[in-house]
Amino acid sequence: MSDHSTPKAPREPETWGIMAEFAHPGAISKAAEVMRDKGFTKWDCYAPIPVHGLDEAMGLKQSKITWVMGGMCLAGFSTAVLMQWWMSAVDYQIVAGGKPLAAWEQFLPIMFELSVLFSAFGAVFGMLILNLLPRWHHPLFTKERFLRVSDDRFVIAVEAIDPLFDEAETRELLASIGGTNIELVED
Amino acid sequence: MSAAHVDRQQVLSQDNVYLPEGAGKTASVALMGLGLLAIAGTFLAGLTGGKELAETALFAYHTGFLVVMGFMLGALVFVMIFHQTNAGFTATLRRQFENPMSLMPLGLLLFLVGVAMQWIFNSANGAYLFHWMDPAYVAGDVIYEKKKLFLNIPRFYISALIYFGVWITLSYFLFSFSTRQDTDGDKWLTAHARKLSAPGLLLFAFSASFAGFDWIMSLDYHWFSTMLGVYFFAGSAVSCMALVTLVLIILRTFGRLHVAFTDDHLHDLSKLLFAFTVFWAYISFSQYFLIWYANIPEETAFFLLRKQGVWEYFSWIIPICHFIIPFVFLMARTVRRSRPLIALACVWLLGIHVVDWYWMVRAGLMHDGEIVGPQFIDLFAIAGPVLVFAGLLVRKIASGPLMPLQDPRLDEGLNHKNYV
Repeated sequence: MSDHSTPKAPREPETWGIMAEFAHPGAISKAAEVMRDKGFTKWDCYAPIPVHGLDEAMGLKQSKITWVMGGMCLAGFSTAVLMQWWMSAVDYQIVAGGKPLAAWEQFLPIMFELSVLFSAFGAVFGMLILNLLPRWHHPLFTKERFLRVSDDRFVIAVEAIDPLFDEAETRELLASIGGTNIELVED
Repeated sequence: MSAAHVDRQQVLSQDNVYLPEGAGKTASVALMGLGLLAIAGTFLAGLTGGKELAETALFAYHTGFLVVMGFMLGALVFVMIFHQTNAGFTATLRRQFENPMSLMPLGLLLFLVGVAMQWIFNSANGAYLFHWMDPAYVAGDVIYEKKKLFLNIPRFYISALIYFGVWITLSYFLFSFSTRQDTDGDKWLTAHARKLSAPGLLLFAFSASFAGFDWIMSLDYHWFSTMLGVYFFAGSAVSCMALVTLVLIILRTFGRLHVAFTDDHLHDLSKLLFAFTVFWAYISFSQYFLIWYANIPEETAFFLLRKQGVWEYFSWIIPICHFIIPFVFLMARTVRRSRPLIALACVWLLGIHVVDWYWMVRAGLMHDGEIVGPQFIDLFAIAGPVLVFAGLLVRKIASGPLMPLQDPRLDEGLNHKNYV
């Protein structure tokens, strides 16, 4: 605020974590099992293809997304009930086909549709929120080698905020479980 | 996952894919004996008890017959779908679908027993299952006159024979392809089964729908519902899926089908069970919704009758117990992978499915313009055909290998994993 003329000094790069490369799905699954058993929490696997069984190897729990969807489903259901009841029985009453103004039969298709629609919104946006997406940048994108994750390489990256993280030890561990091209990632 | 590949020889060992010699014999004989006794009791009660009781017996027996048909037709259509879609995960489970399917001739037999009972009761005390067969009843009925071209006795019986002809032929060939492959390992039999399934599914769709029209819809010949053919199929599919899943769980509890029927297979069967429960609800609501909305007297009569007296309770119990409770129960992954809980769900669904068809068929019975509520005779008239079927099924299961032994998709089935 005080001085507009001097540009802000670039932030000192901090250690974000360590990445290690693996050549095939079997290698990364085995490595993930070791990481899981060691008790790491702030780490992730990156792969160009869905690797069957990797979630188990990483020790991932069932996604919380189902609860988000369940909640959204109920929200959609109640929205549909309230909306239709208010529209057809309160605000703009028209007798159509001799049916009651508020009959669950004619409401049900919309109840179903809105439950599905809201659940789908819950699934998509909930997934984005739980994955901390969208974001402009990720420290791993500074690494040239990481680009191959969208082609033919598998990567495990351990973040520095993990309580078990220790630069030298983690590096050694990743090497011992078959990781190659181990690099420090800075942010 | 090549590392997790299972040892095929070990899976196919004698005590994993066969029941011990003579297993289930007592159960089978007992079930069939009880079933035959129940049918005989139904027959005697109907013969000696006057017109109302005779008609009650006919309607209830018809319900039992349709429940049995549902198991077999559901099994037939599932086997054809598995072949048609080249389904790998069901390769190890298919025999348990084929077993109920192969009992199809029993359906014809039960149908003929029903026809004989209708004929005998009719000559004894003028009882009718299908009122449009009664010339005095339809005399001067304009609606019947218009429908007479379709709804007449010769056409009715000829069609029934055609339906059974189609179903028995299909199930005979599909079953014999599968069992022949057990011994000679001819991979082409799988291709034959697949080729047969394509026209088979088409024939099934027509024959099962028309069977629904003939056997359920024509009970009240004024009424019509465009959803009924699908309703018949949806109910059959749920009941068959529940039955086969239950059979597989029981076999697994007796220490059979290790690796061939894993939690992953169970998970997928439970999903199908869930899906068909929802499908049933979708179809039955659609049927009700269209009739409610159009409000045509001939159509609404069906539901008005079922909103009277004791049938009104059924009309509430069925959507709650056939849809809402299983829907919520089967939703969780942990439930779908638990053998005891899924067995419970299967028993529940089988029970409520019988209630559903009881409501569908038996509630149509009127006597002197009054509804006839549930009677004691219903219990054993329905149990008769179902117990005979159960007895034969136990025998059938024990008589051969519990899974296809040389299916080319066996490896895929054995290594089936469910990653969700």
